[in-house]
Amino acid sequence: MISIPMEFGLILAGTLFVLGLIGLMVRRNIIFVLMSIEIMINAAGAAFIFAGAKWGEPDGQIMFLFILAMSAAEVAVGLGLILQIYHKFQTLDGDTVSKMRG
Amino acid sequence: MILIWLIAILMIGGILAWISQSWHKNAPRWIALIAAGVDFVLVAVIWLQNLSKVDLTGQSQWLFEVNYQWIPQWGISFFLAMDGLSLLMALLTTFLGLLSVVVSWTEIKERVGFFHFNLLWILAGIMGVFTALDLFLFYFFWEVMLVPMYFLIGIWGHENRIYAAYKFFIFTQASGLLMLLSILGLYVIHGQNTGNYTFNYFHLLGTDISLFTAAWLMLGFLIAFIVKLPAVPFHNWLPDAHTEAPTAGSVILAGLLLKTGAYGLLRFVIPLFPDISELFTPAAMMLGVLGILYGAKLAYAQIDLKRLVAYTSVSHMGFVILAVFSLNELALQGAVMQMICHGISTGALFILVGAMHERIHTRNIEDMGGMWETVPRMGGVGMLFAMASLGLPGLGNFVAEFLILVGAYQVSIFWTVLATVGLIAATVYSLRIVQRVFHGEKIKDWKIPDFNVREMVVMGSMIAVIVWLGLFPQSVLNTAKHTLNSLQQRKVIEQTAWQTDSQTLNQNTSENKTIIK
Amino acid sequence: MTATDFFSLMPLIIIATAAVIVMILIAVKRNHSVVAGVSLAAFALAFLSLFRITAVTPHTLPPLLIIDNYALFYMGLIFAASFAVTLLSYNYLKSYNFNLEEYYILLLLAALGASTLAISQHFVSIFLGLEILSVSLYALIAYVRTWERNLEAGLKYLILAAQSSAFLLFGMALVYASLGSMNINDMAQLLSGANLGPLALIGFALMIVGIGFKLAVVPFHLWTPDVYHGAPAPVTAFIATVSKGGVFALLLRFFVAIDIYNYESLVIAFSVIAIASMIFGNVLALLQNNVKRILAYSSIAHLGYLLVAFLSGNNLSVDAATLYLTAYAITIMGAFSIVSLLSGKEQESDKLEDYRGLFWRRPVLSAVFTAMMFSLAGIPLTAGFIGKYFILSAGVHSAKWLLVIVLVLTSVIGLFYYLRIVVAMYSAPTDDMPSQPGISRSVSFSGVLVLAGLTILLVWFGVFPQGFISLIQNMVSSLQDVYLSMIV
Repeated sequence: MISIPMEFGLILAGTLFVLGLIGLMVRRNIIFVLMSIEIMINAAGAAFIFAGAKWGEPDGQIMFLFILAMSAAEVAVGLGLILQIYHKFQTLDGDTVSKMRG
Repeated sequence: MILIWLIAILMIGGILAWISQSWHKNAPRWIALIAAGVDFVLVAVIWLQNLSKVDLTGQSQWLFEVNYQWIPQWGISFFLAMDGLSLLMALLTTFLGLLSVVVSWTEIKERVGFFHFNLLWILAGIMGVFTALDLFLFYFFWEVMLVPMYFLIGIWGHENRIYAAYKFFIFTQASGLLMLLSILGLYVIHGQNTGNYTFNYFHLLGTDISLFTAAWLMLGFLIAFIVKLPAVPFHNWLPDAHTEAPTAGSVILAGLLLKTGAYGLLRFVIPLFPDISELFTPAAMMLGVLGILYGAKLAYAQIDLKRLVAYTSVSHMGFVILAVFSLNELALQGAVMQMICHGISTGALFILVGAMHERIHTRNIEDMGGMWETVPRMGGVGMLFAMASLGLPGLGNFVAEFLILVGAYQVSIFWTVLATVGLIAATVYSLRIVQRVFHGEKIKDWKIPDFNVREMVVMGSMIAVIVWLGLFPQSVLNTAKHTLNSLQQRKVIEQTAWQTDSQTLNQNTSENKTIIK
Repeated sequence: MTATDFFSLMPLIIIATAAVIVMILIAVKRNHSVVAGVSLAAFALAFLSLFRITAVTPHTLPPLLIIDNYALFYMGLIFAASFAVTLLSYNYLKSYNFNLEEYYILLLLAALGASTLAISQHFVSIFLGLEILSVSLYALIAYVRTWERNLEAGLKYLILAAQSSAFLLFGMALVYASLGSMNINDMAQLLSGANLGPLALIGFALMIVGIGFKLAVVPFHLWTPDVYHGAPAPVTAFIATVSKGGVFALLLRFFVAIDIYNYESLVIAFSVIAIASMIFGNVLALLQNNVKRILAYSSIAHLGYLLVAFLSGNNLSVDAATLYLTAYAITIMGAFSIVSLLSGKEQESDKLEDYRGLFWRRPVLSAVFTAMMFSLAGIPLTAGFIGKYFILSAGVHSAKWLLVIVLVLTSVIGLFYYLRIVVAMYSAPTDDMPSQPGISRSVSFSGVLVLAGLTILLVWFGVFPQGFISLIQNMVSSLQDVYLSMIV
């Protein structure tokens, strides 16, 4: 079995994380914002798995399971909110929804 | 115990006054009058009892003290004590406090209960400041007196009250916080030196601090006190606060709050940082003289009568700085006299201006003139206190300023001469008040009532005090003597120690100094 | 698990059970008062159970949880604050006619999450606690969904919190990759003053970003005022006290354990954050005309003050931070209680205008509000002063002059906006004022209870703090002792 150095995995995870962050900052559509956040969280999950593999422990994978479960909960609440917002504002554009300033 | 009662009576009276508003319209006034009156009587009795004792040497400087643990974890105690200086200040506080209740009798018509609550709590805070000997407790009372004062100006003041209240509060808070930092610094240094973390004044007294650190720490205290005093670059809040405050507020501000600054210099800055104070003397004398002249100049330029009186305070308090940092017996005695006499004379002028404002609804000096005919009693009283303000012999202020100038002369001839010019300026602005308001042409034909019996009682008592101070200052000086001596003693000890160290012991001078003490 | 394990987890079990009971109750019959009553009882019981647990502390449940006195203190704070929030919410929600009962499930769960944070000593439990807290809060903030501002605040909080979780997770992953453990104690032993590798450094930095978002310190504060503004007032109170309290408890436990004071770069990062928070929080608050927003910015500044205590890094710092946090929680809870009690249906009394002349119409409420403002400003006779004094004292002890002086100067700026609120309340009322429906509403018994309790605490701690200080010293110092003994 060829073992891949952990650093490669972390670089992959880091790249995904940064991509997610860029998406979060650039995108205006709320659904895409939510997706970007999911990417960031899953990148963190991937990093945990690589780290766990390096130490030869299952801890990283256990953490990933928790992350999956929690991000599912987050998305569920998030989508519920987005539905309500669409009801109220008839749009998913983040800037339109954002009325409070100052 | 009596010390706690002095404060507690005022605080409880304040709360009662607030609650009693709903019983009867005048109830808060009577309750405040009784509370302030009882306090005054108590302090007066203490003073009379100790009049004979205090000038006995050899006995402890402190007449009473109470010391309870407050926050033992931080070395904070509820430590109050009274010596001659505190006693005189307490006497002034209760006297002016009593008068402020009386002069507000008709001036304050709205929210009477809350007004008297604030009034009594300011007095309680001031009483605490004058007796606290735990530095934390001192800061605590320092703040307690500011908050109700802020309300007093902000709610019952004149047109521009909110701005004035803001300015007052921010100036005093900012400087107070710097003082808190200094107190903390002192506390930590003392704790690290000795392992004993305490805010106790006596423990902190001999703290061994490097000159550099001590300079910074003293600066924190100094700023708080000279903002309060006020010395010239920091005097900005004073005219606004005095002008906008209701009469009772102005009386307390001028008569008492400013004195807390002077008291702080005497009680804390000099004893805690003797070396640095000595180094600072030339600068302090300059500040003092600057205050005297600049205050007088601005006073002369005002057309708002209340503002004019406010600026005279800046000028008079300049003398106090000059005296405190001269640090010899005469000057210090003069400083104490000045604190008391200025409290009385300026308080009286503010009451006079307040009474006039209540009648003619303006403070503009240009609308007045020739009022002697209409209100001869006001004119007479005004004349007397203007004379007091310019330092006419026979009245208290003369004694004070004379002592200060003689004392300061021994330290710096140059600054004393300049300060003397301030006396001439005082003559000019004081006479201007009398001239423009009571004499000269009648600008408008005011039909107003003269002082009534209530006001004459107030004024009469103030006149009696200022004349008595002018003729028999010895009883006051005796009361303060012990405290002032110990202030100087410290200086002498420091000096002799320094001289012994540097092998330049001059037998003669050190003997002389011991004799002075 | 042993009986002691169960016993020591009693408060969490009570809260979790109460959440289930409320769910079942709702399935049987909806009744707002009963549900609120059950929640109150649960918080009260959980709070009381803490006293029994002191007998077995410190108790570790390896590898995830540790129940020491420190955790008990923070749990007590969380339960007490949640109790007050429940009372306020009952009042606040009464006037609405949609389904209110689920609100209390969310509240119970959020408190559960926050208390999990207080007892966590492992990344897994930290993450779980944080997510339970955040996910419940998303729904709580947007609970009054007929209200546009509410939805917007909920969405913003969702994005903010989820993103901060992502940062935190990634940071944790890197720290794990570099150190090989997710348990705080093991990490402390592995590090014990050794230099951080680049991986761990980036990891800690990302964790600081994540925690920074949760605590809303500058520069991670951008949407905080919107969330404070848009959320229902009781929920805002909850965020300001319970959520921040839980996260701060975690921050202290984690960074004190790994002895952050050895790592200059991390200390500098926190110092910059603290200074920026104090300055920007106070300055931006000056520009606001809405009481909730003013309090939001002021909370940023107060978190900066808390960080000063934390950064002092001497034996006073944990005590000082905890004391300040408690004082702040009491005060801000009181302030938001008043905002919430004065609010009418669909319209909160949160504009500065609404408070003009309030003193002459509602003297007692205004006096209490004034006391709260003074406490925030750190003026004596209030708990806020004792707290601020303690922080200054901790800072001076460690000679952190820069932080201390910034703290003092920015508190002077802070005075301006606290006074603005006070001045508005005491200014003379005008007749043509648009009357806000909630202002004249009489305060219900539960409201009086909350306010009276908070005011008494505020003044009591301000005047007689010694009991309070020894309590904190007894409870909290365990944090340092435990880790010190471990390292030695």
